[in-house]
Amino acid sequence: MSNRYVEMGLKAPVNLTWEVSLACNLRCSHCLSASGEPAHGELSREEALDLVEQLHRDQVFQINFGGGEPFMRPDFEEILDACHQKGIMTCISTNGTLLDEARVARLAKSRLVAIQVSMDGARRETCDAIRGNGVFDKAIEAIKLLAATRIPTSINTVLTTHNADEIPAMYDLAQSLGVSLRVSRFRPSGRGADNWDELRPTPAQLLAFSDWLAKSGDVRTGDSFFSLTSQERQGLGLNLCGAAKLTCCVGPTGNMYPCAFLQTDRFKAGSLRENSFKEIWDDSEIYASFRSLRIHSCEECTRFDQCHGGCPAVAWHLKNDISGGDPECLERCVTSIADANKAAEAA
Amino acid sequence: MQLHPACRVRQEGFGLLFYDSRGPRLLFVETGDLLTPEFFSGDDPVAAKLALLEKGERARVLGLLAKLSEKGYLREQQIC
Repeated sequence: MSNRYVEMGLKAPVNLTWEVSLACNLRCSHCLSASGEPAHGELSREEALDLVEQLHRDQVFQINFGGGEPFMRPDFEEILDACHQKGIMTCISTNGTLLDEARVARLAKSRLVAIQVSMDGARRETCDAIRGNGVFDKAIEAIKLLAATRIPTSINTVLTTHNADEIPAMYDLAQSLGVSLRVSRFRPSGRGADNWDELRPTPAQLLAFSDWLAKSGDVRTGDSFFSLTSQERQGLGLNLCGAAKLTCCVGPTGNMYPCAFLQTDRFKAGSLRENSFKEIWDDSEIYASFRSLRIHSCEECTRFDQCHGGCPAVAWHLKNDISGGDPECLERCVTSIADANKAAEAA
Repeated sequence: MQLHPACRVRQEGFGLLFYDSRGPRLLFVETGDLLTPEFFSGDDPVAAKLALLEKGERARVLGLLAKLSEKGYLREQQIC
């Protein structure tokens, strides 16, 4: 990743997260957007198709669809088709419960779609404790249907304290099903904020995960774990926050944000009902502030070049300070464990 | 030779930005005015487009194509 070019500013994001609806048939305890009922005033079919047209014109390479559960939107497949007709690549994050043979067959007609099925444990009990009873089995069924097609499929697992010890088993499960594994970071937004203390991985678990990740080059982490990335994984992903530089987020009602974890009024970059996507990307003061954001408090750290201060969203949610440095970075995990050990010795 | 189906390219201020959805991964190439995204699209064979370039430019473009091919952004196109 060349930060020099990224910092010069791109004319459009390379990809973006589009939360097409807040509607969801599950109530996962870590849900970043506290999904359940649809949001009031979600984008209409016409507005959604117009956005696809704009993203095509602006040459956005890929749209990552999330929510909510995208398939709860009756017109979701139509939106998806419009993307594919324009040559836009898509990735759908789904809980898998609404995927049946017919829908998977329709999806498999396009070579531009990839699918991530969420699962939060290698054991049924672990997964269902977070996602709801019966979800583990339904997700496995969906993954089997997808694995029988040419759709690139992955299991997406949010790392929590309850499943941290099962991540290697998740990898084995994914392998046995013929799909890949992606691990995402648990962040304190939405219901994740309400359940933060119960679900957050411990510093020791984060360090162990970082070590495991170093040996697991085929596991993808997206923009999740650059704050924990070891030397072995340098070059496999981002080494800085890509919000407003490489990516951004469109919420269900057409509001734009730097990322999916900062969907609050404080970080609203604009509304697609008032301005075009291009105008918001180019002119938003919020986006400008993220592009010039420097985490000075981390600059003396020996790992600064590897994470550039980590995730501003986590810093905001935990310290109310967007430039305060990631409270869960590798360095802070090491320090936290050392401090705990010293305190234990002193006692 | 053509752009791999999993890849896209667009013009940016510094040159060309390649995107590979298989990673996903990005490749920033300081091409200046040497190449435009259109070079990788359309039905004209790359060989025909290369023939239109001056010798020096052709060598630079061939070097770039070799690099892109090595990184998986381009793939050989069968002619029969």
